[in-house]
Amino acid sequence: MENLKYTEILQLNKQLSGTISSAPYQIGILSNVTVNAGKEILEYVCRKNQIEPTIEIGNFDNIVQDAALFRDKNLVMVFWDTLNLMDQVSEFFEDLEEDTMASFKQKIYSELSMVFNNLSSTPSVIFNCFSSAYYPINVISESKTHRFVSELNRYVKENAPSNFVLMDIDAIFQQHGLSQCYDQRFYLSSKAPYTVNFLKHYMVSIEPLLLRNNGKLKKALILDCDNTLWQGIIGEDGLEGIDMASSSKKGVFFHKIQQMAVFLSKRGIIIGLCSKNNEADVLEALRTHKDAVLKEENIVIHKINWNDKAANLKAIAQELNIGTDSLVFIDDSDFEINLIREKLPEVHCIHVPALISDYPQQLLKNIYKLFNLNPNKDDLKKTEMYKQQFQRESAKDQFGSIDDYLASLGIELTVLVDDAAYIPRISQLTQKTNQFNLTTLRYTENQIEQFMEHPKSFTASMFVKDKFGDSGLTGVCILKEDEGDPRVIHIDSLLMSCRILGRNIEYVFLDHVIELAEKKGYSTIRAQFITTKKNAQVKDYYEKIGFELLRESEGTKSYSLNISTFKPRNIQYIKINTTLNV
Amino acid sequence: MNNSRIKQVMSAVFEVPLDSINENSSTDNLENWDSLRHLNLILALEEEFGVSIPDEEVGNLVNFKLIELTINELVK
Repeated sequence: MENLKYTEILQLNKQLSGTISSAPYQIGILSNVTVNAGKEILEYVCRKNQIEPTIEIGNFDNIVQDAALFRDKNLVMVFWDTLNLMDQVSEFFEDLEEDTMASFKQKIYSELSMVFNNLSSTPSVIFNCFSSAYYPINVISESKTHRFVSELNRYVKENAPSNFVLMDIDAIFQQHGLSQCYDQRFYLSSKAPYTVNFLKHYMVSIEPLLLRNNGKLKKALILDCDNTLWQGIIGEDGLEGIDMASSSKKGVFFHKIQQMAVFLSKRGIIIGLCSKNNEADVLEALRTHKDAVLKEENIVIHKINWNDKAANLKAIAQELNIGTDSLVFIDDSDFEINLIREKLPEVHCIHVPALISDYPQQLLKNIYKLFNLNPNKDDLKKTEMYKQQFQRESAKDQFGSIDDYLASLGIELTVLVDDAAYIPRISQLTQKTNQFNLTTLRYTENQIEQFMEHPKSFTASMFVKDKFGDSGLTGVCILKEDEGDPRVIHIDSLLMSCRILGRNIEYVFLDHVIELAEKKGYSTIRAQFITTKKNAQVKDYYEKIGFELLRESEGTKSYSLNISTFKPRNIQYIKINTTLNV
Repeated sequence: MNNSRIKQVMSAVFEVPLDSINENSSTDNLENWDSLRHLNLILALEEEFGVSIPDEEVGNLVNFKLIELTINELVK
C-alpha cells in the first residue's frame, strides 16, 4: 500500500466503494491543520480490510468544539499539530516570559482536558502526540519550544482516558525522514503540513487498530516447514542437512522466525504446521534437532501430509472451530501461496521473501498488524485449551451416547453478574466472537463498564471448566431494561466462544440468564437475532430455547419470551455455581 | 504522454470519468475542483511526476493547459 501512488489509491478506493455490505464504521477526524488528502487514503485502508467507513472531518481548527459533536463516532482521530498551536503565540517563543508561557500552557491543558472529557466514552480515539521535530534543536540548552512540547506530551500521557491510543508521530517522522513527511510550502499556503507520503504511512500504521476495533484480528499462524521454518528440505537433506542455527549465516533468520512463533504461542496465538512431508520426519526435527526453538508443545495443530494445502487449511480451521479468515499462512513456494490466494482468498498469506535477510522483519511487521499481542489470562492458556479440546474429541469415542460422554466431563459453570474485574475480557469477547453471536454488537471496555454501572442493565459472564481443564470466561450476555416498560428486559448481546460449544452449555447458560431476569422482577424477555456472514449456526437458537418469533425482516428476527410459562431444560450433568446478587 | 498521465490524475482527484477530462477542463467547468481538491491535485501531480511545483505557480494552475505547460517545463 505504501508503494501505491496517491492517484492509484484514489482509483482503487473508488473501485472498492459500494462493494462492502457491512454497517458503516463511523470515523470522525478532528484537526487544527488540513488533512483532507488523508480521507481517501484512510477509506482505502479500511475498505481493503472489508471495513466500510463513513469519515467526517470536523471544522478546521475547531477541535475542542467538534469533540462534543463527534463523541458518538466509533473512532475519533485527533490531529492537533504543534505547528498551528505555536502560531497562536505572536512573540518569538524562545523569548517568551515564563509566566506568559505558563498561562499559555494552562490554556492548552484546559482545552486538552475538555477534549478528553468529551471523548472519554467514545469507543476508540487515536490522539497524535505533539511533535517538536519541526523546530531546530539546541544541543547546549534545551529550547523553550522543545521543553514546552515535552510538557504537553507529559500532560497528555498522564491525563488521556484509557480509550485513547497515543500515536507517536515522531516515530513516523524518524522512520521515513522529516523531509518526506512535512512540506512547509503547503503549511504556509494551505495549513496542510503533511505530505501524501506521511499520510500513507500514518494510515498504514493505524491499520492494526482498525482491524482490532472491527473484530478482524487473526487467531492462528500456520507455517510451512522446509525453507520456511528452517533452511533446507528435510526429506532430501535429512535431519543433519537442515539449518536453523543462530550461529549460521542463513540459519539465523530461521532461528528468529522460530523465536517469533514461540513468542506468539505464549500470547495465545495458535501455531500450526501445514507441510508436504512425512509426518515422522518433521516431528523428529522438532523433537530432536539441537537448534530447534519451536517445540512440539508450542504447536497446537499440524497437517503434515501430501494433500493439497487449501484442503489442509480448511481442515485446520474446522478442527480449531475458527473461520478460515482467522488464519495467517506462511510458505516459501509460489505455487502454494497462489493456490491459497486463489482458493481461500480470505486467508492472509505471507510469502517468504527471496532475500532471506528480510524475512524476520517482514514477519514481525505482519505480526504487529494482525495479532493481539496484549492478551489477557485466558488467551495465555489458549494453547493448552485447544489441546484439551482434542483430548475431549478423542474421549468422545469411548462413550455410547453423547449424554453419557457429557456427563463424564464433570462440566461446571460459574456465572457472575456485573463483575468489573472482567471488563477487558468481556469487551474482547464482544470484539472477537463471530460464530456464536446473536447480535454481533462490538463493545469497548468503556462501554462494558457503562453497562455494568447502569442500574437497569446487567452483564452476565460465564466461566466454564471440566475435568480436562479450565476454559475461563467464555460466555457473555448483556441485558437492558426496556425504555418504556419496566417489566420487559432485552437481550442486547449473547455470545459464546466456539470452543465450549456442543456440550449443551449454550442452553444451560440461557436458562440461567432467564432465571436471573425473573429474580430481578421481569416478566418478559425480548431478543433479536441479527444475521451476519458468520453466525448462521445460531439462526434458530431462540426457537430452540422456546422464544416466540414476533417478526422477521431484512436479516433480523425479533423474539419474545414469557418467563412464567418458560420451561428450562434442567440438564442435570452441568453444575452451576452462581452469585446471584439480586 | 504527460498529457494522459495528467488526465489520469485529474480524473482520480476530482472523481470524474477519465473521458470527461479534456484540454478545456478548468475550475470553471469541473464542479469538484474546489480549493481543498486543488491542494490534493497538486500533491498528486508532484508525486506522479516527481517534481516540486513552485509556490507561486500553485495558485495559477486553474486549467488543464496551464497544468500541462507547467509539468512539461518541470520534467524537462
